[in-house]
Amino acid sequence: MRLVVIGFGNIGRGLCRTLVEKSSFLRARYGLVPEVVAVVDEYGAAVDQGGLELEKLLKVAERSNTVAAYPAKGKRKKSALEVIDEVEADVVLELTPTNIKTGKPGLTHIKNAMLAGRHVITSNKGPLVVAFKELDGLAQRQGVEFRYSATVGGAVPVIGLAKRLLAGNKISAVRGVLNGTTNYILTRMSKEGAPFEVVLREAQEMGLAEKDPTLDIDGIDTACKITILANSILGMNVKLKDVSAVGIRRISPDAIRLAQEAGYMIKLVGVAKPGSLEVGPRLVTVGHPLAVVGTLNAVTFELDLAREVTITGFGAGPRETSSALLGDLIDIHSIRGG
Amino acid sequence: MRTQLEMELEDVPGQLVKVLEPISSFGGNILNVLHERERKTPLGRVPVRVVFEVDEKAKLNRIIGALRRMGVRIIRVGEKEGAFRSAVLLVGHIIHTDIRDTVDRLNEIRGVRISDLNLAMGAVGHESAARVMITADDENLARTALLRLEKISRGKGLLMITSLEGT
Repeated sequence: MRLVVIGFGNIGRGLCRTLVEKSSFLRARYGLVPEVVAVVDEYGAAVDQGGLELEKLLKVAERSNTVAAYPAKGKRKKSALEVIDEVEADVVLELTPTNIKTGKPGLTHIKNAMLAGRHVITSNKGPLVVAFKELDGLAQRQGVEFRYSATVGGAVPVIGLAKRLLAGNKISAVRGVLNGTTNYILTRMSKEGAPFEVVLREAQEMGLAEKDPTLDIDGIDTACKITILANSILGMNVKLKDVSAVGIRRISPDAIRLAQEAGYMIKLVGVAKPGSLEVGPRLVTVGHPLAVVGTLNAVTFELDLAREVTITGFGAGPRETSSALLGDLIDIHSIRGG
Repeated sequence: MRTQLEMELEDVPGQLVKVLEPISSFGGNILNVLHERERKTPLGRVPVRVVFEVDEKAKLNRIIGALRRMGVRIIRVGEKEGAFRSAVLLVGHIIHTDIRDTVDRLNEIRGVRISDLNLAMGAVGHESAARVMITADDENLARTALLRLEKISRGKGLLMITSLEGT
């Protein structure tokens, strides 16, 4: 299977490391031999129709900060759109950073890849929160597979569980703790009684929160995931602006203590159900399946047959995310071959 | 939830103790017993009303099942007032935005009252936090009260945190 990787930050590199590590496992178990024929980053690309050497690629990118420095096959200033047009491939992996306003450049990459007849796997929430229906329709018209497991829950197979294993159920509501950063901050605040600003700084120092933490702490990242879940598993047609989001900036140690005294934890919870798309801090009873701590994510589905199913696990990190990307790849391989 | 059970007992010694036993052994907290000997039924039975609290419906069902198996005649099972309790947190300038007015506007709904209020004063210049327990006679009233508090919070710039069960 020939792969084009667009975006070579933490997630792209994590995926390539996993492909190296799992190479013999994938061949033996699934007869899958992934060949990365092109990798693009913001400075250029490395293209080899015969397959790039991933270990060499990782070293080059580490040293020179761009894949364009790959010996002989690297080209500076070669763009993602050129690569998508010119390079023969089966799957395009769109792993560039999220832009929630326009979805670009990921949105353009995905559309062009589909128009070129490629299957698409993405970890990028941007294109999905601004144009889910459009992309879903385009994939169907083009007869290509479109997978985005890594956009919600990281390693936790939220979408796959809902769409496949619970396929016989009507899902009436989804509720989830979907942002590891805010869950870490709330957990630390409740254990240490420390103020929000102090714990946020600590999370930034540990690399758990971005320098600009707005998307996480204002609930926007969770709202993105709620948008994706509403579209993909509840069959709604909604965009990010349809989700009302309140973050955790105003949560004080006092508020957490008052909640604890009554047997509750405060969690940033996203809810998707017909008539209600919202993100905000909620009181969750201690012992409830969504009362997960640290950087864990958890999602509960409300179902007609199975009643309630909750899934929990690690939401972020390059290695964890590669679990979702690889799952999507194996899925496409088993449906379409290659 | 607070439940009122109306039963009719044979007028022989030991009957009352017999029906109270399963209520407490299955986790009911008995609040009130009304034994109305003067209102005997035409068949000579004595009406008894017991008010108790249980924390879940399953326990109530177990209690009723046990009483029926004992052959107790149950006339009515009803939810008593104050059955629905919702915990809510408020964060903001709770005192400066007239906490008394906030409480009064909830209490003026018939069948709703603020049964508990815990306030944590923030440091000077910081926001304070409060835990409010809203007690309502039924589910609809509880919803009405939460909607009103939501409106009040919006008007006063308070952050209102409700429990997950309400979403």
